[in-house]
Amino acid sequence: MDMSTNNLDIMEFFVSMLIVGIGVALLATGSFTSYFGAGKSQKIGFALLFSGAITLALVIDMVFGTIGIMPEQFEKTTFEDALISGVSALSGMIIGMFMILFVLMKVDTVDDLEDLDLEDLEDLDLDEELKKLEEELNQADNNEEDNSEEDK
Amino acid sequence: MNTELIISMSLVGAMLSMLGMGLLIAYYGSSKTRNVGFVFLIVGAGLAYYLAEIGMNAYPSESFMNGMLAFLGGMLGGIIGIIIFLVAIIKS
Repeated sequence: MDMSTNNLDIMEFFVSMLIVGIGVALLATGSFTSYFGAGKSQKIGFALLFSGAITLALVIDMVFGTIGIMPEQFEKTTFEDALISGVSALSGMIIGMFMILFVLMKVDTVDDLEDLDLEDLEDLDLDEELKKLEEELNQADNNEEDNSEEDK
Repeated sequence: MNTELIISMSLVGAMLSMLGMGLLIAYYGSSKTRNVGFVFLIVGAGLAYYLAEIGMNAYPSESFMNGMLAFLGGMLGGIIGIIIFLVAIIKS
């Protein structure tokens, strides 16, 4: 296993994807805030959206040189490789999470119901229980009345 | 080369989510759910072993490590972007 870091291209892979990540996050949060926000929050959302779009436009310029502000800072093929690896790792994470959710939903994980003895519940006669409760309440009332008469 | 990169990086992503979610489910879950969490942990560990021992010979290690670097950069960039958003919202 070769885990050497000698051949790592930090500028091409790490920095380019760092800027892309910041741009995508700003664009996503900005679009949500500008759509759902109100007043000041909405203005902040538009600012975030604008800065995200600017960041992504700059990255595109850095790779393809279409605008001409900072043209061709990153090599096209390596940037594509970086983008592919970032997107595939994110897709892998999403697929893994869906797999976990699917298994958790399919496996009967609700085991608290096993602790409940449903047979006991079925055997319960609610009418009898109510009668017992009424008798107990009546007895309590009678005892209170007797006590008050004795006090008098 | 791109196919190898896509497969290896997808496996890395799946491994990370399996290990992370498995750890949380195994810790906070109860009885049956906990068992499922342990299964996910084992699957994640198996994927990590595959990537470290077998995958590194199958996939070109240089491009794999660069792909990891790109993934880390993307994640860090996303976190920084969210922090910028939170600071802007909280300060307003």
